Amino acid sequence: MLEAQDLMVFYENMIALNNISIKCDENQIVGIFGANSAGKSTLMYALSGIMLDIRKKELMAGGERITLRGKVIFQDQDIMDLKPSLRAKAGIILCPERRRLFKESSVLENLRIGGYLATKAQAKYTLDYVMNVFPALQKLRTRLGGFLSGGEQQMVAIGRALMAQPKVLLLDEPLLGLSPLIQAHLIKATKVIQKETGISVIISEQYARPVFPIVDYAYILENGAAVMEGTRDELMDNPDVKSAYFGIS
Amino acid sequence: MSTQESRKERIDRGIKVRSDGLYALMSWRELSYLTLPRFILIAGMLSLPFLVPGMYWQRVISIVCIYAILALSFDFMAHYVGLVSLGGAFFIGTGGYIAGILNSYFSVPPFLTVPLAAIIGGVVCTLLLLPCLPLKGVYFAIVTLMYPLFMARIIEAFNIFGGTDGLVGIDSFSSSFAEQYLVICMVLIFLFGLRRFVTTDRGLIFTAIMDNDQAVRASGINITKYKALAVFIASAMGCLAGACLTHIYMWSGISQFALDFSILPIAATVIGGSGTLVGPILGCLILVPVSELLRDFGTLRIVFYASILVGFILFRSDGIMEFGQRKYEQFERWTKI
Repeated sequence: MLEAQDLMVFYENMIALNNISIKCDENQIVGIFGANSAGKSTLMYALSGIMLDIRKKELMAGGERITLRGKVIFQDQDIMDLKPSLRAKAGIILCPERRRLFKESSVLENLRIGGYLATKAQAKYTLDYVMNVFPALQKLRTRLGGFLSGGEQQMVAIGRALMAQPKVLLLDEPLLGLSPLIQAHLIKATKVIQKETGISVIISEQYARPVFPIVDYAYILENGAAVMEGTRDELMDNPDVKSAYFGIS
Repeated sequence: MSTQESRKERIDRGIKVRSDGLYALMSWRELSYLTLPRFILIAGMLSLPFLVPGMYWQRVISIVCIYAILALSFDFMAHYVGLVSLGGAFFIGTGGYIAGILNSYFSVPPFLTVPLAAIIGGVVCTLLLLPCLPLKGVYFAIVTLMYPLFMARIIEAFNIFGGTDGLVGIDSFSSSFAEQYLVICMVLIFLFGLRRFVTTDRGLIFTAIMDNDQAVRASGINITKYKALAVFIASAMGCLAGACLTHIYMWSGISQFALDFSILPIAATVIGGSGTLVGPILGCLILVPVSELLRDFGTLRIVFYASILVGFILFRSDGIMEFGQRKYEQFERWTKI
């Protein structure tokens, strides 16, 4: 469904993504694991097209020159030059790192802004759905985004992404800075959402253990290159992966 | 984009890498690579009075330098302390009036009024701005924008210091060369002094305040004190420029509180390259003469001016200096991916 072929990204002379090919089929959860600076966020930006925006901004400010090469294929079309807003319209929705909520807007407003691309009926339906999946948000409807706890913010962020009617949902480090309990809750919710709505999810995370049980296929990035890939079971049995990403020696 | 097989890369010039290290001291070539840009600036500034024709343009040089000092103080405040100040006119007016008062009421000679105006003016401006120091960003900018209007109206309303006529009959500098070299030397001293200063420990604290004032406060540093120090430095520079202006025109009046003194330095900083300190001076060297040339167009010159500014912000928002520096230090070439 969403596929990156030989994707390369340079920040000036530094290579951030080196010949990465990943693939996410329909109805699949794909995990991207890697340490800091492995290129997870860059990959997410390249898939969602934000990278084009960053490139343009840097160009205007005379800063770093960003070079993109390769193909991003969505539903059999090369969308490498498609603007991020059009990609969102096509159904690639990014739930950005560090949530990036609209801090001055309430939870409900945040969700409604997310539903800009949806029809009225879709928005109403999805809003109810989000409130069902995250019952904790029910009581917080009118609370401002900036006053929520980290876990609640992440729920709103995922909800906001869902409101945009994704076909592929890109979750960039959704568990950042959350307690193990909330991590488990969010991961369970992600699985439920994926199962019930039938969307595809690409989820990037540093620490693989909490996410691993729900992924169908995973890639492991190191220094901008995909060093390993495989289904959950294949990777689970690999001793290198075990020691590096699960903390089991 | 997706089809391109090669990309342009930027690489530091060999000579730049070599002269970054100790090698700089080992060959004339590297030594001159390092010193040439500075030398050209200094020599160029110092030779300006000989290069330009006629009294009129020599006067323009002095005005350029006065704006350059203001732009330097703006750049320092905005990009090294994080206080965006629109108070250029406030500093010029305060300095100008102090010099005028000292000279016409107490007949202090110009070579004393200028430093006195800088110090007294710096103190006065700092004290007046002290209550606004906790403000940040646009709030500080608005307050500093209000002060010059406020001062001008007070002088007008109470009819003090000559009222709307201003103080007349103030001594001029002994000669036009003395006048020009004074301001040119001041620009150079402030430029290199500030460049030094921002790399000292105090300068680092200023930059840190700009980045994250809470973290600085958490480190046990009184940020109000440091902000006040920064305002003092910047306003003393502005007041010195104002004092020079008073003696150049032999007059000080409420038009010294005009908004031009606040706006033009900002424009010069944008064009020259913000945060470079040299950039604002280059910006003034371009903008002020251009504005003089456009004087024939009357008020239409503001239109030209604004278009230049908008163009720069849209297409070269890093400014001339950054651009030039990159060209000087790096080269580009195509490489295969």
